Parts: sequence; C-alpha cells; structure tokens
Amino acid sequence: MKPRRIAELGVLTGIALILFVIELRLPELTPIPGVKLGLANIVTVFCVFRYRAPETVLLVLTRIFLGAVFAANPASLLYSAAGAALCLTGMLLVKPILSEKQIWLASVLGAVLHNTGQILAAILLMQTTAVLGYLPVLLFSGCIAGFLTGMAAQLLLNRKIL
Amino acid sequence: MNRKALLLGIVLGVIFLGSGGVLLWQNLHKPQGAHIEIVQDGKVLYTMAYPTAETRTFRIESENGWNEITIRDGSICISDADCPDQTCVKTGMLRSESLPIVCLPHKLVIRLEEP
Repeated sequence: MKPRRIAELGVLTGIALILFVIELRLPELTPIPGVKLGLANIVTVFCVFRYRAPETVLLVLTRIFLGAVFAANPASLLYSAAGAALCLTGMLLVKPILSEKQIWLASVLGAVLHNTGQILAAILLMQTTAVLGYLPVLLFSGCIAGFLTGMAAQLLLNRKIL
Repeated sequence: MNRKALLLGIVLGVIFLGSGGVLLWQNLHKPQGAHIEIVQDGKVLYTMAYPTAETRTFRIESENGWNEITIRDGSICISDADCPDQTCVKTGMLRSESLPIVCLPHKLVIRLEEP
C-alpha cells in the first residue's frame, strides 16, 4: 500500500470514529435498542465505492475495534462485527451493478444486512429467538437511516474535488 | 436504470414496506392471557401472570453482572444494571409480546409468552 493511501485510510478511520462517538453523545430518538442513524456508515459507503475491498475491510475492522474501546462496551463488539461482516459483504457484492446515482441503494442494503447480522448474533449468543421481534423495527428504521447516510456518501463521492 | 439495480431497489422496497407493516401489527396487537417469562442464557428463571398483581424489586445475578428487576403496575421492567450501555433500562416497561426487554451483555430476556 502506498503511504498516501495509508494516510487517507487513517484520516477516514478517524472521521468514522469521531462520527461514531458524536452519535453516542446525541440523545436517543427512541428507547428501542439498536435504532440509530449510523453516521459512521457514511464513511463505510464512501470507502466501498472509492477504495479496494481489502482496504475497506481493514478500515471497518479498525473502526469497530476502536469504537468498542471508546464506547467502553466490549460486549457490543461481537454484535457490531456480525452486523458489519454481512453489511460489507452485501455492499461489495452490489457495488458493480450500481451507477453513481444509485449508491444509496447499497447503503440501504448495508443497513438491512447490518441489522439482520446483529439479530442473528443475538439469537446465537443468547440462545433465544425472542430478539427476532426487534427485526421489523430495526429493518424499517434501518432503511430510512441507510437512505440518509447513503445519500450523504453519494453526494460526497460525486464531488470531483475529493 | 439497469435491470439488476432495479431488482435490488424493488427487493429493498418490499423489505421496507413489509417491515413497516409488521411493525404496525406489533403495535396494534394486544396480548391476551399471556404470562411474563424471565429467561437467562436460554433457561427460564421466573414466570408470572400478565398483568401481574405483584409489586417488588429484586436482583438477578450472573457471572457477568447483575440486573435489578422491578415489578409494578401490572408489568415489569429492568430498573438498574451494572453494564455500560444501559439499553435494557432505557427500554422501559414490558408492553408488547413481540418486543422483549433484552440485556445483551448478561444474556437476559424478559418477554411475554402467549399460551
């Protein structure tokens, strides 16, 4: 990897972490666990469409690990990792079929897969399907949040200056 | 717009509307003759009628930490916990059979079961 590329990815990881920490400090929209905007997803979508797959995977892994450290919540690490693994796989798979005006679709897919992955991890770890009840509310809010963060990433990606 | 992207858009649209529909149903459906179950690590620790006539507060300890359970006004909530995220406390009172109170770090679930 070229030094310039390493520096860019470092800055992007930093931005993703700052967005993640800011979002932790914002008052929650609903008391339903897992419903959130996912601002750090803007950086993930940006990376998926701007960089190569291994670079994006590296960035997201770093973000998740440091995010769990900053949030002082090691229990959330497994759930985030499960969500991110599905989310990234999905986004990388649909990337080739999307035009520059359809990037937000990848983000919505990513949000849906992220929430599905988290619920699957919860079912496996807690040995109960009771958490499935949260899937509809997470999918519904995830589509909206994914659209918003996806559009933000799409606007950035389509600016030729960056 | 190419075919595959259109297909992806349609699939996501169906997921969005479908989950919205289920969400609506969850909120309109009122459980009847159900009972409260407190489950930890896949094992049922307590069961009680819903709505319950009890009023009490107790702790459930596990190797990872504790949760303080409060039963009042016919329902149940987790009133305190020693975890960092406090998600279960913020969830509030148990209201719907489809939305259990969940504490991920202590593998604790409080849910309504219909017979």
